[in-house]
Amino acid sequence: MIGLLNWLESLSLSVWVHESPSIWAQPTVLTLHTMGMGVLVGASWVLDLRLLGIGRDVPLSAFRWVFRAVAISLIVNLVTGVLLFMARATLWGTAFPFLIKILLVIASAATLLPIRSYVLRNPDQREVSGNARLLAIASILAWSAAITSGRLLAYTVAG
Amino acid sequence: MPSITSVNIAHLHLLLNHVPTVGAVVAVGLLVMAFVRRSEPLKYVALEVLFAVAVVTLPAYMTGAAAYQKVRKMPGISDAAVRIHQDVALWGFTWMEFTGFLAWVALWQARRLGRAARGLVPVVLVLSIVSLAVMTRAATLGGDIRHPEVSTEESAAFAKIAPEDFMAAKISDVMVNSPWAWPASETVHFLGLSLSFGVLLAINLRILGAMKQIPFADVHRLLPWGLLGFGANLITGMLFWVAQPRQYIDSAPFYWKIVFLTIAGANFLYLTVFRRAWADTGGAWTASGADKAMAFVSLFAWFAALYCGRMLPFLGHAF
Repeated sequence: MIGLLNWLESLSLSVWVHESPSIWAQPTVLTLHTMGMGVLVGASWVLDLRLLGIGRDVPLSAFRWVFRAVAISLIVNLVTGVLLFMARATLWGTAFPFLIKILLVIASAATLLPIRSYVLRNPDQREVSGNARLLAIASILAWSAAITSGRLLAYTVAG
Repeated sequence: MPSITSVNIAHLHLLLNHVPTVGAVVAVGLLVMAFVRRSEPLKYVALEVLFAVAVVTLPAYMTGAAAYQKVRKMPGISDAAVRIHQDVALWGFTWMEFTGFLAWVALWQARRLGRAARGLVPVVLVLSIVSLAVMTRAATLGGDIRHPEVSTEESAAFAKIAPEDFMAAKISDVMVNSPWAWPASETVHFLGLSLSFGVLLAINLRILGAMKQIPFADVHRLLPWGLLGFGANLITGMLFWVAQPRQYIDSAPFYWKIVFLTIAGANFLYLTVFRRAWADTGGAWTASGADKAMAFVSLFAWFAALYCGRMLPFLGHAF
């Protein structure tokens, strides 16, 4: 395991992200990761708010753009996240708080799947079922926890 | 392109610092006149002015610290005079932002429901008078810094206050020395940015052509959530700034961020009150080219503000 992490970290791409003084290395990768976070979590929350009754008059089908925004930002954050991980693979790969963050991100993204199928099954719906509301609450809380654990990595692991 | 920090930020403070006081006088005057004349449109103009003043109060406050850096080494400048000015200005800023927030609530309600909640606009009037009073006091104290000939015995009393007893110093002490205050504020700052981003994305995408089948009024419903996110970021951002101004003072991306936030703030007012989308009662309003340009500017300003903020440690020297 540690051998794999060492190998990942020694790749020239990893070294470039970590050590290059270029603005396009670590700073840009990190900034893109933050922008992706804003779009990903923000778009998810807007749909969650709708499921909880904000903008009740809007049919659920109007929120299809959310899934496109989520897909794009998820790809951006997967790519930038992998780059950031590779740059310091031995640090992140052995840090328990990082594992928590990844699990929270997976849990948050997982709430989107049943929400998506609910929205696609009920395009004209105004009233939302109790289960969908619970999903929306779970999604809001899970994303909040994911952001919190991610932001705190700067102090618990990399500080 | 000239660098933004080569603009004399201290000079800019001398220009912008008139906006909170003069602007509030104008807004209070318009509001009183609206009540006397019983004019609803005039009332909303006054509230719009008040919101705009609250937006410009942000750069007015921020540029002050740069002005302090410029004058602090000069002979005849009393450190206590600057610190008491900053403390009162911080109170004035807080009152002004709260007033601007309530003015916005009244505007939002008027747009949605046809009128603001009963009693809200008089409350805004009272608050704007309080803000004006505190800001006038801050302005007077600010004038005393460079005009010792008009300052009173009061200045001598301020000089006796210990540096650590000023409000800004106390905030700084908690933010820097508490193990959790800074990380917790950063976390709230990131949650707030996501909320603002989501809401502004939804509204601007509606203008740009997504969700065409739904009336603009329905996405307008989301605006308060966007302001909630922005409010959380204004508070936590101010905590960072008051605690460690030196991290940001010479930082070009910081001033660009303030520029983009001011644009985003003006845009937010536009999104709240603009009329064309509401004229079509059928609902399926289609944006004009100008509306789309506005939506594009709004999205650009939000992404640019985030870019400048996240780049602070790299392009500037924040941690």
